[in-house]
Amino acid sequence: MNNHPLLRAYLAGIAVPTIFLMIVATVFTLVRYVYNAPIPIERVIVFPMAFVPNLWGLWNVLHAAFFTQGRLSLGIFGCLLPLLLAPLGYFVARMLEFPIPHPIFSLAPIGLPVAMILYYLAWKYLVGSLNAELGIG
Amino acid sequence: MKEPEKEGTKEAGNNSTERSEFADIREKLRDALPPVGQLENGAELRRDLWPDMLRRLEQSPVRVPWFDWALLAISGAAAIFFPALIPALAYHL
Repeated sequence: MNNHPLLRAYLAGIAVPTIFLMIVATVFTLVRYVYNAPIPIERVIVFPMAFVPNLWGLWNVLHAAFFTQGRLSLGIFGCLLPLLLAPLGYFVARMLEFPIPHPIFSLAPIGLPVAMILYYLAWKYLVGSLNAELGIG
Repeated sequence: MKEPEKEGTKEAGNNSTERSEFADIREKLRDALPPVGQLENGAELRRDLWPDMLRRLEQSPVRVPWFDWALLAISGAAAIFFPALIPALAYHL
């Protein structure tokens, strides 16, 4: 288990959002094609399917490479990821001309801290336990 | 008469190729796995894994501090009071 620690960190990082994606993709597909929601979700599904898991993996690699010896805990490091993902998600949605519902904008000041809390918990407990299993950190 | 002969030759050729492939694989497997007698302590493990297993079983389950429960409650409350947040969060998770 001493080989390729960064590769193991990447795999541990992508595992959590990949599992979660299965649920998200199923719900999005049901909403769009079974309940005929007039929102073109398929235009932006690439973001949770491709960007998010890879960024989780790379974020964990970054932590394993530079912060395992320091005082920055995995939970705190993970809760910073929405600060990168939120503008990136917005940019992808705008680039693909996805009609962002107006309430999303007005709820952004609440949504970002909530996302950071959820990320803190997910990174601390889920990614942390996977890292421990794989002997990272 | 020539056709069956040709087919027979082709079949024989295929069989010999298959045989040599199997022989190749057998040789590679033999190289990869040394005979049991040549292992360091016969087929024994290098160390006893049972103490590790016991330690693992005795480990206390993960303790969640109260403020993590509080954070979870805050995010749950936010999802209840502002359900429009849920798809936005799912998009970013």
